[in-house]
Amino acid sequence: MMNPSKMFNNFKNTILTKYGPNPAKMLIYTGVLGWFLSSAAQVVAIAVNDKIPKEQKMFLIPQEIGDGAVNVVSFFLVTSVIKNLASRLVSSGKLATPKIRRFLTDSGINLKTKNGWKVPANFDFSKFNIENMTNFYQIKDEYKSFKNGVDVVGMTLGSILSCNIITPILRNKIAADRQKKTLARMNTFDQEKVNYPRGISMDTYQKYASMKYSSPSLKI
Amino acid sequence: MASISSIRNFSFSRAYNRLSRKAERFALNIAGNRNNLPTVSNPKTINTIDWIGKKLSSAENRLILGASALLSQPFIDASNKDVDAETRKYSVCRTLAKIIAGTATGYTIRKLCIKSIDAFTKSVNEIKPEMKLKKLRTFLTPTLKYTAEELSQYKNTLGTILALGVMVFTNFLIDAPLTKGLTNAFTKLGGVRNDESK
Repeated sequence: MMNPSKMFNNFKNTILTKYGPNPAKMLIYTGVLGWFLSSAAQVVAIAVNDKIPKEQKMFLIPQEIGDGAVNVVSFFLVTSVIKNLASRLVSSGKLATPKIRRFLTDSGINLKTKNGWKVPANFDFSKFNIENMTNFYQIKDEYKSFKNGVDVVGMTLGSILSCNIITPILRNKIAADRQKKTLARMNTFDQEKVNYPRGISMDTYQKYASMKYSSPSLKI
Repeated sequence: MASISSIRNFSFSRAYNRLSRKAERFALNIAGNRNNLPTVSNPKTINTIDWIGKKLSSAENRLILGASALLSQPFIDASNKDVDAETRKYSVCRTLAKIIAGTATGYTIRKLCIKSIDAFTKSVNEIKPEMKLKKLRTFLTPTLKYTAEELSQYKNTLGTILALGVMVFTNFLIDAPLTKGLTNAFTKLGGVRNDESK
């Protein structure tokens, strides 16, 4: 068995090598972990709450797990796809700084025109990656800091889109659908009693009749 | 059955990779003109992009998310036609309260945790004679070789992981009561019915 001190050093070194050179990746993974932990905390809070009846817990826990899954999946998918796009724009040489452009021009990848730079007619961006070039070391520092910055900008835009636009819309839709179904189920049961009021008092009948759901909008 | 076998064969990573490749091809095709490649030439913009890559930690990221949430989420709730007008107003108040409480605690705790990690991630030549707890100052310092930027991102990562652990508890101890208090204040201010305030 590995000793605890060696395990701790391995943990620190893994964090350093995985996330040290790649801040956007760190922000995405810690973001996913954050969403996961906060959803898990909500589930645990419901599970250990004595004031919530067992029947309600059976309904609320899967609901919370569902909400958590929407949060985690939408955050991860949207954020990482946008971050990867931003990253690829830089590594394919499509988006660059003048220094990187000059390097690509010297390497014969870009051609200087009077308005700026262009690529040769048969050039395929999807097959090209600056990092695989043999003389990449010449531009490494300039390229890395530009790429890390673009990655973090892409990641931030992705998380704004996911957390502040896509997830709230999805959650509102899912919550409304869920409530509609629950109310419809409750009202089907009540409607049967209203239609066939056997074995209930007039008071109870009137109460059920007044509960008949007819409004198109819902109360949360 | 075709549908069951397609569900069985579904792989999240395969679907994700396919989606990424398609999005990549699409972006590479539409971004910029092949005959006039997009080049970031303004030195200020280049410096800002570099700064973002080097200095933006999860705390600032949370602050940006909170600020942009204030500009979008209340409007999404206000235009939610699936609920009635009173519920819409209430959900706008609650969303505003959640954003303010969540951003304030999220930013503060992340910042404090990153600062705490920094105190125990010193390199040997950073330790000064007047420092207390000298032995513990290198407790979290990695044993591999690193650059200053890599070490700074390492501290951000460890600080964020610590903050997430702390926030599992502060979510209930600080966020929840703060959200409730702010919701009550906003509903009172806007004259919105609030059954939860009783």
